[in-house]
Amino acid sequence: MANVPFLGLKTHSQKVCSLYKRVLRNLEAFYDRRNVYRYQAVLMRARFDKNAKETDMRKAVELLRQGEEELFSQIHPLPKKFATSPGGVAYERVVQSPDWVLDYWHPLEKAQYPEYFKKREQRKKEFMAMWEKEYGKPDPKDQHH
Amino acid sequence: MFKNSICFVSFFFLFLFSLINFFFFLFFMIYNYVIFLEWELISFSSMSLVMSILLDWMSLLFMMFVLLISSVVIYYSKSYMSSEMNLNRFIMLVLLFVFSMVLLIISPNIISILLGWDGLGLVSYCLVIYYQNIKSYNAGMLTALSNRIGDVFILMVIFWMMNYGSWNYVFYMDFMKNDYVMELMSIMIIIAAMTKSAQIPFSAWLPAAMAAPTPVSALVHSSTLVTAGVYLLIRFNVLLLDKFFLKILLLLSGLTMFMAGISANYEFDLKKIIALSTLSQLGLMMSILSMGMAELAFFHLLTHAMFKALLFMCAGVIIHMMNDIQDIRFMGGISNFIPYTSLYMNISNMALCGIPFLAGFYSKDLILDMVMMKNLNFFVFFLYFISTGLTMFYSFRLSMYLMINDFNLLSVYNLYDEDLVMLKSMFVLMMMSIFSGSMLMWFIFSYPYVIYLPINLKLMVIYVSLFGMLMGYMISSMEIYLMNKFSYIYNLSSFLCLMWFMPNLSTYGLNYYFLNMGQMMLKKIDMGWSEFYSGQGMFMIMKKYTIFYNFFQMNNNFNIYLFSFVLWMIIYLMILMVM
Repeated sequence: MANVPFLGLKTHSQKVCSLYKRVLRNLEAFYDRRNVYRYQAVLMRARFDKNAKETDMRKAVELLRQGEEELFSQIHPLPKKFATSPGGVAYERVVQSPDWVLDYWHPLEKAQYPEYFKKREQRKKEFMAMWEKEYGKPDPKDQHH
Repeated sequence: MFKNSICFVSFFFLFLFSLINFFFFLFFMIYNYVIFLEWELISFSSMSLVMSILLDWMSLLFMMFVLLISSVVIYYSKSYMSSEMNLNRFIMLVLLFVFSMVLLIISPNIISILLGWDGLGLVSYCLVIYYQNIKSYNAGMLTALSNRIGDVFILMVIFWMMNYGSWNYVFYMDFMKNDYVMELMSIMIIIAAMTKSAQIPFSAWLPAAMAAPTPVSALVHSSTLVTAGVYLLIRFNVLLLDKFFLKILLLLSGLTMFMAGISANYEFDLKKIIALSTLSQLGLMMSILSMGMAELAFFHLLTHAMFKALLFMCAGVIIHMMNDIQDIRFMGGISNFIPYTSLYMNISNMALCGIPFLAGFYSKDLILDMVMMKNLNFFVFFLYFISTGLTMFYSFRLSMYLMINDFNLLSVYNLYDEDLVMLKSMFVLMMMSIFSGSMLMWFIFSYPYVIYLPINLKLMVIYVSLFGMLMGYMISSMEIYLMNKFSYIYNLSSFLCLMWFMPNLSTYGLNYYFLNMGQMMLKKIDMGWSEFYSGQGMFMIMKKYTIFYNFFQMNNNFNIYLFSFVLWMIIYLMILMVM
């Protein structure tokens, strides 16, 4: 994706693929038995394949618009979501705080766990040494971050 | 070590209190004995503030059930919440909840009822937002604000009751009935009870509150908190007879029952299905209460508490096993892997449906018979029987999805019961949901109701149940050649699926417009016009004039002197010329 000219700008085929994936997820929400879902998915694939070779761009855009409209009018009110993905019931239920939060603890708080923080400081030093050994010291003129 | 011990200690003492309450209940029941304790705090100008406690068979029995359920739920939490860092906080919150509930149950005084009532609302808010993600926060706000309406109504009742000089409502029931203005109080009490028991305009919060951890749902949102409204109305039921508003309550609760039954059939979230079935049963209790049969409502309240708590605990085991997935579309065939939990689940489901000689049968069948004896209109009759059929419908659908259909998440899987702790705690409730119906029947109704019905009317319950079972089977067995009925009637389906758009109408809709109005007022009035005319505007005008005067005062005195000299000279010359 290195040659994408503008972020957020999608090609027509990307839009069609995105629509296809959302349609399949929607079918999955309706047809919860796997074999039934596969049958419906094959039918849907045939509908997509029928227009896959469309060369007239105006027609293709119109077809895409119709497809989006159809999906919107048929979207399941209770979509099938995995529990820990966005929109799922357990999304962000267990949040793991990033490691650097520990560096911002108050000294009094840090004093509650003296051994851990002693070891942590030691490890930070060792990591710095390892980094400098591998990549050298940072350039003092290099101020950007 | 301490983690496990707090669960065990709480379990032990709650269980002990429950047993003690049971024996006291038997004693009070047999000797028809009531204890009324009063402790006067302060008395001024013929108003007395009294802390009072009422112990009769009803409060003792309800307390026994609450304590029993909470003890097993806490025991269950030891395993269910074992990965929780702040288990102590969780158990403390649950204990606080139990305390508020007990305060509500034993108080014949509207002020201490408010204390218990508000405690319930607050603790349930804390428990709903226990998993601190966005979904829980939203659900918690919805719950707290919906319940807040009821709290405000109880507060208004307190103010109104100042006219009597005391808040012990039990003494004033008959006076209140005679006074037309005081009847307003009964309407307020009914509205308060409707918010707590999630009747129709306020029912959006109950399914949303399922964001809470499952033990909380088992204790709070199925068996105890939501029945607080019903209990309050049972206590006030002398006051409520022959009210027009009670007829509206009958309609609303009947519709709640029907709406929840339909929505449960469209729902796919395991806990929300059970919550909607709770809502349906609450509608049943409220509607039988609004016909004036308080004992029947109380009876159904108790049996329902048992099997619904069990159902939620089974759901918790399943959710744990599925790694937090609650969608029943992912589940299936679990009875091969967790046979005991499936057994408990089936028993509680059957008790819910009213299969003979389980707990739900005794209360539900009696209620339906009494409804038929009452000769109500066809609409109410229709609501009752369709809802009974719908209960069978969604229970059977749930069982089909969970136990009979294929597993739908992974292709290689191994499911298992995690440990005995959850199974042991569920065993207690399983026994209760088998026996409590007949037990309570013998205790509470010492004399039989005489029921006289044509054979087909009597068998109507069985007809609708069988029909519901058939529908449940048909809707959950999906075949390739069947067409999708959901998308066929898409608009109607999504209307029924989203609880008749109740969340949008009663909560999101209202919140949206008022918040929008607040935003507009902030932008246009507070930060706009009022700022323009008072704060910033005045400052700008002052600044402008100050700069203008400064021009004369400070900068160029010489110019001004010169200018005024020239001006005066011109005027002088003109005067000369005129003269």
